[in-house]
Amino acid sequence: MTTTRRNLFKLAGGAAVGAMFTPAPWRLITDAALLSETWPGVPKPKRGEVSFQFGNCGLCPAGCAVRARSIGGQPVSLAGVAGHPLSHGALCAFGVAGHHLPYHPGRLKSGPAAQAAAAVRAALGQLRDTEHCAVLDLRPGRTASWTYRRAMASLHNGIYLTPEAPVVVNLSAARTVLSLGAGLYDNWGTPGNVIAAREQFRLFQAEPVESRTAVMADVWLPIRPASEDALALGIAHLLLAEKAVAGLPAGFIDRVKEFPPAVAAERTGIAEAQIAALAGELREHAPSLVIDEAGSPYATALNVILGAPGHTLVTRREAPVPDAWKNAASAADLAAVRDGSIRVLLIDESAPGDACPWNEIQPKLADHAAVVTFACSEEGYGRHANFVLPTAVYPEIVDDIPPAVDSPAAAFRLSAALMPPPDGMTNPADFIGALVGIDPKNALQDRAEAIRKSGRGSLFVPSTACSTPTKDVKPADFWKLLQAGATWIDDIDPRAAAPKLEIPALPVETRAAAFPLVVAATEAGTPAVGSPLLSKIYQESGLRLAPAGVAMHPSDARASGLEAGSRARFETASGSVAVSVTLDAAIPRGVVEIGGGPGIRNLCGARTSARVVRS
Amino acid sequence: MTESGKPVKAARYGMAIDIDRCTGCGACMVACAVENNIPPAHEGVTDRKGITWIRVYKVDNGAADAGRRSAFVPVLCQHCGKDTPCVHVCPQQAVDVDPSTGVVGEIPTRCLGCRYCVAACPYHARYFNWWDPAWPAGMEKTMNPDVAPRMRGVVEKCNFCHGRWHEARQRAAADGKPVTEPVAYLPACAEACPTRAITFGDLNDPANAASVAAHGAGSFRLLEKLDTDPKIHYISKRDWVRAIADAPRPGNGKESTRG
Repeated sequence: MTTTRRNLFKLAGGAAVGAMFTPAPWRLITDAALLSETWPGVPKPKRGEVSFQFGNCGLCPAGCAVRARSIGGQPVSLAGVAGHPLSHGALCAFGVAGHHLPYHPGRLKSGPAAQAAAAVRAALGQLRDTEHCAVLDLRPGRTASWTYRRAMASLHNGIYLTPEAPVVVNLSAARTVLSLGAGLYDNWGTPGNVIAAREQFRLFQAEPVESRTAVMADVWLPIRPASEDALALGIAHLLLAEKAVAGLPAGFIDRVKEFPPAVAAERTGIAEAQIAALAGELREHAPSLVIDEAGSPYATALNVILGAPGHTLVTRREAPVPDAWKNAASAADLAAVRDGSIRVLLIDESAPGDACPWNEIQPKLADHAAVVTFACSEEGYGRHANFVLPTAVYPEIVDDIPPAVDSPAAAFRLSAALMPPPDGMTNPADFIGALVGIDPKNALQDRAEAIRKSGRGSLFVPSTACSTPTKDVKPADFWKLLQAGATWIDDIDPRAAAPKLEIPALPVETRAAAFPLVVAATEAGTPAVGSPLLSKIYQESGLRLAPAGVAMHPSDARASGLEAGSRARFETASGSVAVSVTLDAAIPRGVVEIGGGPGIRNLCGARTSARVVRS
Repeated sequence: MTESGKPVKAARYGMAIDIDRCTGCGACMVACAVENNIPPAHEGVTDRKGITWIRVYKVDNGAADAGRRSAFVPVLCQHCGKDTPCVHVCPQQAVDVDPSTGVVGEIPTRCLGCRYCVAACPYHARYFNWWDPAWPAGMEKTMNPDVAPRMRGVVEKCNFCHGRWHEARQRAAADGKPVTEPVAYLPACAEACPTRAITFGDLNDPANAASVAAHGAGSFRLLEKLDTDPKIHYISKRDWVRAIADAPRPGNGKESTRG
C-alpha cells in the first residue's frame, strides 16, 4: 500500500473523530475551566500571619472603636469593639471599609509642597498690619488644632477659624426628641450612642423627605419644605401660652405671636391637633430636646423654653493640655473678620468634619491671597485653592479624635496607623508649625501626659473591655495603652454650668427666586472619600444616593428639562457641582435631595436652596 | 457520618432579622463584600448586574405623601431547606445543601454560567459575574485570604461566610472539641450590624437566640407559600411589613423579566 496524500487526510480525520470519543476533549474542557479560574485578571489573596489591632476610626468625629484584622501586617477587615462605652460596638458602612481608603482611585498622590511653602512664606513676609494669616480647621479640638492655635498666637495677625461648634447634646438624658431634619441615623453623632440611647426616648422627625432617620422615628412629620422654623414657632406659641419663660428676646416673643397653631399648621402642612399633641409630648415627657443641625434661632429658643440647657444640652470640658499651650489663640468668628483681609488661608480638611460655605470665606480673602488646602482629594476646598497638598488618610496616620456632638464628656483616643502612608504626603500640623518654629512631633504624647497628670476620668482598654480610673493607670502604661486603642473618657463635671444658649438675630426669611429648590442633604455628613466598595450601597443596590447624585420629583425635573440619568449641575449660592439626576416620586415637589461627598457640605451649608440645571 | 464513623449532629444555621431595627445603613452589605472578596462595581454597573450577597431593599406601605411609611429589608440567600430550587436546576451539580449545616453552597469551579439557578431563585439572591473581578490598584492587598475570589462567568451567592465557619471549626478542633458538634460563629453581616438586627445561630438549638427570635411573635419568612423552608426568618410588629412576605421581590414588587 502506498502512502498517498488522501490516505494521510483520512488518517488525520479518523483520528480527530476518534478522539472525540475519548476522555481527551472533556479533560481539555476541565483544564480550560481551571485556566479560567486562575486567569491573570483574578487576583490571589496573600497569606500571612494573622494579627489583631485595636484603634479608633478617624473618618468622622464619632471616632468609633475598631478592631482590625491584619494578614501579614496588612489590614483586611475592621469590626466594632463590643462593650465600648462611647461607640457600643457599632461601626457604620464607611467605617467597616475604612481600610480601603488609601487605595481610592481619586486620592491625591502628590502636590507642590515646596512651592506652597514658598508662596506662604512670601505672603507672610508681605503681610500688612491690616491683613491676616488664618487657619481654617474643619475638625477642631484635636491636638493638631492646638498646634494651629499656638502657631496663630505666635504669628502677627494670625487667626484661627473653625466651623460653628454645635452645643453638646446628652441624648441619654432625653425622653422626648424633636429633630428638625437632623440626620440622627445619618452620621449626625456617634452611631452606637444614638442606637443605645434610642431605647430611652421617643423621636419625632420633622422633615419633608422620608430619610433613614424618619423611617426609624416613632413619628415622622412630613412637613412642607423649609417650614421647620414655622413648626418651632407654632410649638413655642403653645408652650408659652401655658407658661411664660424669662430671658427670651422681645423679637422672638413678637414672632411667636404671629404663629398660633392654625398659622403653623397652614405653613407646615401638619394638622393643628398634631402640633398641639407634639407640644404636649415635649412638655409632659421631659427632659426634652430639639435638634436642629441648621442652628436656627427658633430651635434654640424652643430648647430654652423646654429647659434643655443643663439637662439635654450640656457644657463639655475640653481634655487637658500642657500648660505651655494655654496661651494659644481662641477660635475667631469668621463673620467678624473684615472683608478682604485674609492674605494667607491654610485649610486643614485632612480630618473630615463640618465645613464653612465657600461664599462666606471668599469675601474675606485679600486680592492675590495664598490659599493652601491640605486634603486627600481635590474635590473639597481644593476647587478654590492655589495649592492642594495631599495628606495621609485613615488608617495611615496616628491622630487624635475629639469627642462627637453627642458625647457629654471629653474624650481622647487615637486612630492607629495600621499601614504606612505613601511618600510625598504633607502633615498639615508639621507644615503650619514649621512656619513659626513649632515642632508638633511629640504633641500627642505631651497631651496624653497632661491628661494623665490631671487624674480625671478613666481609661477604657478594648483588649480587656475594662475601664480603669486614670489615677490607677501606671504612668508608663498610659501612652502605650492609648496607642493600643484605649479611650480616655473624662468625668462629667457636676459643677458645670448649663450652656448659655445665645439666641442670634432672627433671620429674615428670604428665598432667592434663582434657587427654587430646598436642599435635603441627607447624606451630607458622610466622609468625603469612602471605600470603592461603597458602590454596593450607592451603585449596585441604590440603597443610598450616590455622591454627586441628586434625586428630585419628576415634575420638578421636567420643569428643568431633566430626566432620569441626566447629567446636570447642582447650583447653590456657594457654587456648583456636576451631578447625575434620579427621579423619585416620593420626594415632595420643591425639594432636591443630594448625596454626600467631597464638597457637598461647603456647597450646601444648612437650609440651603438650590437649582438643578442641565449641563 | 464522619470519616471515623461517628454520627454528625446536624446544625441548621439560620438567621432572624428584625426589620424594625434595621436602619438601612448598609454596613452589612459592605462588611459582606469585604469578607467575601466581592469587588467594587465596574463602571456602568447598575442594580441589575451588581453583586451584593446581601442586599437591603427599601419597602413602603404603598400610601402616598403623609401616609407613606417605609422599612428596610435585608435579603440574602434564604438557604432553602426543602426542594431547594437552585439545586434542582443546576446541570453541573455546582449547588448543594450541606446536610451537616443546612447551608446551600455554591461551587464556582463547577459552575458553567448557565444562570438557570439565577432564574430559579424566587428570592433574587444569586448573582452572576459579568466581568473579571477587579480591584483598584493596590486594593487587592486587602483581600481576605480565607475566601477565593470568583472568576468571570460564574454565579455566586451568600454561603453564611463559609470561611468563618471553617475557622470556627478549626478553632473548636484545636480546643479539643469534637468535629461532629455544631460550632458557634458569626457571619460578617451579623457582626457588622450596628443595631444587632441580625441574629445568627443554629435553628435546631431551641435555646439559641436566633432560634428563639425566629419562632417568636411577629416572625415570618419570605414567600412561605412556596414551601421551600427558608432559614432566614424576619420579624416585624407592623402588619404591612409582614405583608411583603408574599411579594415576589421586596422593593418594587415586580418580577424581573430581563434576566
